[in-house]
Amino acid sequence: MGDSVQLVILGLLAGGVYVAVGIGFGLVWGVLNIVNLAHGALVIVGGYITWQLFTSLHLDPFLTLPIDAVALFVLGYVLQRGIINRIIRAPLLFTFLLTFGLNLVIVNVLLLIFGSDFRSVTPAYSGQGFEFGSVVIPYVALISLFVAILAAAALAFVLNRTRIGLAINAIAADRDAAQLVGIDLRHAYAVTFGLGAACAGVAGGLIAMIQAITPTAGEPYTLQAFVVVILGGLGRVSATVVGGLAFGLVEAFGQSIPGSGSVFANAIAFGLMVLVLVIRPQGLLGRLR
Amino acid sequence: MIATAASSRRWRRIFLIVGAIVLAYALLAPLTSLDAAQSAGVPLLADRLWFRLATIVAMFIVMATAWNIIGGITGYAAFGNVAFFGIGAYTTGMLIAKAKWPFLLALPFAPIMSAAFAALVGLPLLRLRGHYFAVASLGVGVAVGELVQNIDYQGQPVFGGASGLFLPIYSINNRGLYFFYLMTAAAAVSIAVTWWVLRSRFGYGLIAIRENEEAASVLGVNTTAYKVAAFALAAALTGLAGGIFSQWNVFINQDNTFPIEYNVQMILMALLGGTGTVFGPAAGAVLLQLLIQFLGGTLPISFDLPFVSEAARPIVAQIILGLLLVGVVIFVPRGVIDFFGGRSRLSLAYLRRSLRETSL
Repeated sequence: MGDSVQLVILGLLAGGVYVAVGIGFGLVWGVLNIVNLAHGALVIVGGYITWQLFTSLHLDPFLTLPIDAVALFVLGYVLQRGIINRIIRAPLLFTFLLTFGLNLVIVNVLLLIFGSDFRSVTPAYSGQGFEFGSVVIPYVALISLFVAILAAAALAFVLNRTRIGLAINAIAADRDAAQLVGIDLRHAYAVTFGLGAACAGVAGGLIAMIQAITPTAGEPYTLQAFVVVILGGLGRVSATVVGGLAFGLVEAFGQSIPGSGSVFANAIAFGLMVLVLVIRPQGLLGRLR
Repeated sequence: MIATAASSRRWRRIFLIVGAIVLAYALLAPLTSLDAAQSAGVPLLADRLWFRLATIVAMFIVMATAWNIIGGITGYAAFGNVAFFGIGAYTTGMLIAKAKWPFLLALPFAPIMSAAFAALVGLPLLRLRGHYFAVASLGVGVAVGELVQNIDYQGQPVFGGASGLFLPIYSINNRGLYFFYLMTAAAAVSIAVTWWVLRSRFGYGLIAIRENEEAASVLGVNTTAYKVAAFALAAALTGLAGGIFSQWNVFINQDNTFPIEYNVQMILMALLGGTGTVFGPAAGAVLLQLLIQFLGGTLPISFDLPFVSEAARPIVAQIILGLLLVGVVIFVPRGVIDFFGGRSRLSLAYLRRSLRETSL
């Protein structure tokens, strides 16, 4: 009994990162119809910015998160405006290949700059935590979960309460009609991708505090973002939050199965995704598009 | 217009002649390594490096051509075909290493197992469309690779685990030559299969599914059976390449039989050459694989990248490959066969038109 409570808590804490990784990916997928294979690479760019600011300027890693968000927003805006916008009307395979190419470029540029060494962000309070019953809750994981939910709330606010957010919603509903009512598609597309990248940057900052990163560490997160978005359902930020937390729980319970070891967690997650896709393609909370 | 048509015919002829010469050279050069040829004083045209490269190129011809059947002709963006390569490799590998079967008896089981697996997962997966199918097939590809590496039975890894699986070396004279011709035969089979598919009732059904699945269904095409058959056919060919690879390479593990980048490479090859055509994927495989090897510095004709140290070279090669990928996708969406085959000419206007058609 105590064990399963512990697993639920650890799962929810781990889910925070998945929420952060998933919301940006889900936004880009839902609105732009792009499955962004470079998402994990953008996440790791955020991680390296946090690491660089932490090691050279000794900034508190949580304070670097807004900088990650702004830097990645600019990068995302430029990528979408300059490159990805040019193949929006091509078959979906092309967006796959294009974003995979971008992934290759970003990861290898990071390798050139930072090398393949493991980098970790370890502020004074890392590794500390408080006891909750029989479970030790690390501060970093708890604040990360809080930050991830906050980022999701901020994204939902932008999407539902601001002018550009409503434009993005209009595009998601009907691109051509959105253009007819005077929405600048190129700009709105770029802003959408920029917002997605900004979320990825925040996720990267959080990840750098939780695990050691390398330039190639982002790839699993691209795949996990798929699973998170599909679990929750495409098209709503809140659904992705649920998906991310659910993914954390599944992973925690998957790792606890005796004899399976942590290596099976990925296979279980993908098995679950395929199952959800086949049985309930709209996800746990999603609406079918 | 007449001048354009004549010049494009000329280009087509030049392309065909060059292609035929390259093909003849590739097929005949290995013969110079035979003892009889060497004692007769024929210059050696194919060394170990040549065999390794040519066999890899042939392997990718098989994979790209097989992907074309499900991705190009049927229009289902399969992103996890490397699973079939790995399953083929491990089927043959296990039969040889653990059950001590002879290679030629074990090889036919590679395509059979891969096709059976494809039919099994294809039934649920092929109900999905678009991104969902692509993502789910990618998930299957990743999951199968992880399972193969990590399945234990009573504490012992069933498939060799993380340390991989060693096969006994196939003792035969001229191993390099043998496996090159075997892989080339597999490439020829996959091209022949594609040629047959495009001319058969089956192929017309697949094209109908690609163009409009509902309409195909209304016209009486059993879409589920057709899609699963196409998926299984692609899997069988890919699995055959995997089976040959396992004995050729002698050592298999998750990294060399389930690499995610193969998924992308085979699709890119098919796109580069032209999807839905018979020879396009093969041409794309030759072009791209030679380029990858050239950038990686494994070709005899080498070069120095300016401002790049030897250590950074593979990284820069990957960056160039990524930029190339981006460039091909943006500027040549119909593949290079389109202009080599004489339908259009490579020109600035062509690139600009391609760009305009897909831009927002």
